[in-house]
Amino acid sequence: MKTWLRRNLFRTWWDALLTIVFSGVALWAMWSVFRFVVFTGRWEIIDVNLRLLLVGRFPKESLWVLYGVVIATCFWGAAALGGGKVAGAREASRSEQLFAAVRRFGLLVVVGLLLVVLAGVRESMWFVVAVVGAIVLGLQVKKWRRSIAKLRQIPAVIWHVALAITPITMMVLVIRSADVQLWGGFLINFYIAVLSILLCFPLGVLLALGRRSSLPMVRLVCATYIEVVRGAPLFVLLLLSGVALDFFLPPQIDPGPVFRSVTVFTMFTAAYLAEIIRGGLQSIPKGQTEAARALGLPTVKIIFLVTLPQALRNVIPAQIGQFISLFKDTTLAGAALSILEMLKISEAITKQDAFLGRGYIYEVLAFAGLLFWVGSYVMSKESQRVEKKLGVGQR
Amino acid sequence: MSESVNADATQMSGGRTDSDAIVVLEGVHKKFKDFSALKGVDFKVGKREVVVIIGPSGSGKSTLIRCVNRLEEHDKGRIIVDGIELTLDIRNIEEVRKETGMVFQSFNLFPHLTVLSNVAIGPRQVRKMSKAKSEELAHELLTRVKIPEQAEKFPAQLSGGQQQRVAIARALAMKPKVMLFDEPTSALDPEMINEVLDVIKELAKDGMTMIVVTHEMGFAREVADRVVFMSDGEIVEVGTPSELFDHPKDPRTQKFLSQIL
Repeated sequence: MKTWLRRNLFRTWWDALLTIVFSGVALWAMWSVFRFVVFTGRWEIIDVNLRLLLVGRFPKESLWVLYGVVIATCFWGAAALGGGKVAGAREASRSEQLFAAVRRFGLLVVVGLLLVVLAGVRESMWFVVAVVGAIVLGLQVKKWRRSIAKLRQIPAVIWHVALAITPITMMVLVIRSADVQLWGGFLINFYIAVLSILLCFPLGVLLALGRRSSLPMVRLVCATYIEVVRGAPLFVLLLLSGVALDFFLPPQIDPGPVFRSVTVFTMFTAAYLAEIIRGGLQSIPKGQTEAARALGLPTVKIIFLVTLPQALRNVIPAQIGQFISLFKDTTLAGAALSILEMLKISEAITKQDAFLGRGYIYEVLAFAGLLFWVGSYVMSKESQRVEKKLGVGQR
Repeated sequence: MSESVNADATQMSGGRTDSDAIVVLEGVHKKFKDFSALKGVDFKVGKREVVVIIGPSGSGKSTLIRCVNRLEEHDKGRIIVDGIELTLDIRNIEEVRKETGMVFQSFNLFPHLTVLSNVAIGPRQVRKMSKAKSEELAHELLTRVKIPEQAEKFPAQLSGGQQQRVAIARALAMKPKVMLFDEPTSALDPEMINEVLDVIKELAKDGMTMIVVTHEMGFAREVADRVVFMSDGEIVEVGTPSELFDHPKDPRTQKFLSQIL
């Protein structure tokens, strides 16, 4: 311990000085945040408006389905993706596993507790407990699947369908229980982000392949699309979508603002994604294609079995970065298309009679920022784990 | 296994025959920009024949065998493999590629697939074999190249020699009629060269038709039915190993051999 301190923190007087200065900065920052959270922050505004901030005008009587979706999805995620050995790693001991879990989830648990305290709603406790329970149960189910012989015989397809059926039915229930135009708050940010990510990924792949096509017309169209969309500010595209989308749609269809924003986010992110994926494709050595060709594989199979899987794997960090920025950019949809998303609601509630003109905006923005940070952090951490699992950089 | 790769290998008795040619090149030309890599190559390879191509670098050896399975497109002349002429028709090209296996200098294994999948991908995806059957075949071939225990590993976890043997198994999995080797040992550490050459020698013994570009003269002398010496995009001299190595006629052959032996 003592030698560690000396070696890493106080090796020379200059190192010692830096260590002290930076510790000071860190302590000061932590103290400021702590003071704000515990003493100066006036969190009653969050307390009163929590439901509005999280789900907007989503009907109260359907809220239970929403809770159900979150819990069921946590279970699903844990059982389908969770755990799993990192490629080439040995089986970890119990204490190592615990340590890894703390490192992975510790910060999140702290933040979760913080949220509960901030929200001050006692009822939210049971929800947090249910989510944690679902994750633990999911991980256990995953373990059972690997250790119990009877469960291991179940084919992967049946297994995954069985796991996915509850969360997906519940998602359908949620979508049917209230008109999307009524959704708001963090829910709508999340919904727009997830939908756009799911849609932009295949589009981005196709654009990347198109830009590398041997057919000049395909290449031209894809390159033009990418350069035009990348050249426009996202906010401008969002504002434009209020009008411009109608040029391409038959007049009897009037898409709501959510549809418009999903379209824009999908198109915008796909253009960036296409360039990321193209970079990945270019990093694959020519020998890979030649070897596949020499086996007699047709071009489509060469792309989808040989080059694309390697390319996508190589650019996971950049892809996730793009998704994270999409997630945070959904706050622009409020200003551009009057969707009642988190930020829009955050501003609106400071104008309620009880809070008007007393500078409550800082508390509200801090809360909004925290929620987005949690989402981005989870994405980034999980992507790192996927990377390790796929053995990127092992070559 | 061996009988399925070359059913009539056992019927072969005594000397090998080159009566019916399986690879035919007639007046093949190939240009890269303004560099002529092949300047009118005429050449035939018979069934069950092992042909070794030697020559200085830049002489067109690699280009020649890369034209045989259309990794390079020739500009002039005809190339006929197993009765199929290589034209712009993609179906012909894929047909020829099914019948020719190729082993590269830099292995070119698929790093995201296990060794087993690397070998099984050809029969599974091109020959439409079932998953179980293709994997069974892959296991057999891995046994044949003497690394059955590495099936579940990834290529990066193997040594160069092992990787090249997997690459040979991958090519054999398509049950090709001709095997093309493009300097198969040039990227290997010296101690691994022999394990790869041994596998190739065994293939030759089983009667596989092969065209091998190599710098391993001892190996050429041992397995070749005919040795071809190429220089400046032309075939300079063709003969049995003893003819070509011991009594080279052309001064270019003599000069090349004197430099390397």
